[in-house]
Amino acid sequence: MSGLYGSLSTALSALFANQQALETSANNVANANTPGFSRQRPVFVPGDPVTVGSLSFGMGVVLEKIQSLRDPLLELRLDQQSQQQGKLDSTLGALQQIQVTFSGTDSGIGSAVTQFFDSLQQLSTDPSSLSLRQGVLTAAGNLATVFNTSSQNLLTQRANLDLNVTQTVDDINTLTAQIPTVNGQITNLENLKEDASAFIDKRTTLMRQLSGLVDVSVIQTEHGIALTTSNGTPLVSEATSFPLKTFVSTDGTEHILAEGKDITSSLSGGKLGGLIAVRDTTIPGLQSNLDQLAAGLATALNTAHRAGFDLNGNAGGDLFVSPPAGGVGAASALSVAIADPALLAASSDGTPGSNGNLIVLSAVHDQAVVAGQKPLDFYSRLVFQVGSDTANASADLTASSLILQQLEDQRASISGVSLDEEAANIVRYQTAYQAAARVVTTVNSLLDAAVNLGRY
Amino acid sequence: MRVNPNPFPDILAALNQTRQDQETALLQLSSGRRVSQPSDDPAAAAVLIQNRDQSTFNARYLSSLDSLQGQFQTADSTINSVVLALQRAVTLGVEGANGTLSDQDRAAITGELQGIQDQLLSLSNTSFQGRYLFSGTVTATPPFVKDNTVASGVRYDGNNAINTVQIGDGYRIAANQPGSQLFIAPGHDMFQSMTDLIQAMQSNTGFSAAITSVRDSLDHLSGQRVFYGNAMNQGQSQSNYLGTAKLQLSRQENSLAGADIEAAASRLVNAQNSTNATLAALGRISQLSLFDYLK
Repeated sequence: MSGLYGSLSTALSALFANQQALETSANNVANANTPGFSRQRPVFVPGDPVTVGSLSFGMGVVLEKIQSLRDPLLELRLDQQSQQQGKLDSTLGALQQIQVTFSGTDSGIGSAVTQFFDSLQQLSTDPSSLSLRQGVLTAAGNLATVFNTSSQNLLTQRANLDLNVTQTVDDINTLTAQIPTVNGQITNLENLKEDASAFIDKRTTLMRQLSGLVDVSVIQTEHGIALTTSNGTPLVSEATSFPLKTFVSTDGTEHILAEGKDITSSLSGGKLGGLIAVRDTTIPGLQSNLDQLAAGLATALNTAHRAGFDLNGNAGGDLFVSPPAGGVGAASALSVAIADPALLAASSDGTPGSNGNLIVLSAVHDQAVVAGQKPLDFYSRLVFQVGSDTANASADLTASSLILQQLEDQRASISGVSLDEEAANIVRYQTAYQAAARVVTTVNSLLDAAVNLGRY
Repeated sequence: MRVNPNPFPDILAALNQTRQDQETALLQLSSGRRVSQPSDDPAAAAVLIQNRDQSTFNARYLSSLDSLQGQFQTADSTINSVVLALQRAVTLGVEGANGTLSDQDRAAITGELQGIQDQLLSLSNTSFQGRYLFSGTVTATPPFVKDNTVASGVRYDGNNAINTVQIGDGYRIAANQPGSQLFIAPGHDMFQSMTDLIQAMQSNTGFSAAITSVRDSLDHLSGQRVFYGNAMNQGQSQSNYLGTAKLQLSRQENSLAGADIEAAASRLVNAQNSTNATLAALGRISQLSLFDYLK
């Protein structure tokens, strides 16, 4: 088909195509700030030409499809980095709270140990003084209290993390529950050869959020995607989500069940992985170190104390209540066994003026009483450990944030909406539309001339 | 290549960073400390615990020395009084040995010697802050007690124990000398020699042996007295050493944990400048769009 009517239909195709293109731009501008939105681009193709004799006429323009611009590999990289980021973020948050217990040179366990041994030195200049003896008991009491509160702080941290674990599992379930629906919508539209990009964007956003919470692996299937945790536990099949459950385990913490299987120890990424690592590894490790230190100190001081004689000339008893066998819970249970300052065994021969046993007690300061180390050496190593764990997590998080930012930049350079670009496109489509309209007018006047041909 | 059309997240991240830098610099300036939690510098935080332990002990050694000095001074001046009393006894003994004295004169001297004996008993029971200084470690009860059943007339209830007090790392000094060693050492028992002298005065015979015996006790005490002089000298030089160590420890703490004020101040200014620059740039960028130019 050619001729004036052919020109008219060619112009009309241009009107339609440019109008649709304008709609695409309008949609891009509207979603300029929508998270996860991938910009769209109209794909124009020339209409199939018609051949008239030896001549071939183009038949206008066809808007073949509206293409979303996204890089699936980059999206995958972003998911992986979000897992890393989520993990580091929750780890650092927890470590920063934990290190408060180990901060401060004028407070805390290190200072209490120093003060206790200092009080022994003070008493050694006047061993029968009741007020100085009371000073030693007070310092011993402080030492016990600091161990109690430090241990309690760790327990509180652990309980908070536990609460956070159940909340995070709820968040994960909320997200995974949405994915099968979106999967279905995408499959339906794709089966109809229609544009599913809005739903793909939605699924990408859900995946990103999910990646921040837990380590997910994506399996591309015939009908959409399936998700598993990195150890293969299914979270979402194409059409069904499998909610995670929590239950209180024998150790008193919330464990995570997937399809009846305890997967707690296999979770390693995302916010959940970070929370579990701190809750189940870092805190119990620190707790056990505190227990060892408390038990080692108490046992050594008790042995030294029993070697001496109190102010009444009787053999000394325990200074601290004997720590539990094996040391578990020693820090939270540490307490002073005597209340009467006269019962402090400062004397080595039963005379009230002797300070001989104070020398024995003081020597514990420099004895390898815990894991082959002196008490303060052991404690300062612990402080170093906590500090460097926190500092490392902080540095890792900074590095991870930079990588994430770069990936986001890359994503935005591919998928992000540029208002300048859209403005330019709108001008282009507008001009093309106006030109096509002009063609219609021209053809119209030509048809008019043709209709009226010979009437004059 | 197409660039990221939305620079705002990057700029916000940069702003966040400069604000954090400002905060860190401000915290260091206001607290004067670079290390306020272990993660600021884990190695320094660990060393600080040891440093604080040493400083505490250092201060304790100094105050132990102070209380020892008081005790040493009291003991030293007590022994000085004992020495003076014994010298007076020797003088009285020599006077009494002069054959020209009447019985009455010797009776008067005997009275004075008995007074000296009482004074010696009282001096040897000197206490310091409620503790008897010369009783070994039996500090709660008077060490020397009048007892006619013993030859010298004075019984020793103390012991021979010596307390040591730490005044430096691995450095302990004796804090006391037992009375048994000072006043009634075998062959140098001052109460025995005084009793002998009084006996000589009363019987007007055996002066020379008794006077020699008192002189021996006197010499012995003068020798023992050196202990306190030495101890006080040792204490003084250890005090000086501890003062230097204290300075070193606080210098070490400062270099470990103290903030470099100039550096912190300049970091604060830098952070403020970059915040201002970023904010200015943000203002500019947000004004630019092609839409503004399409009419």
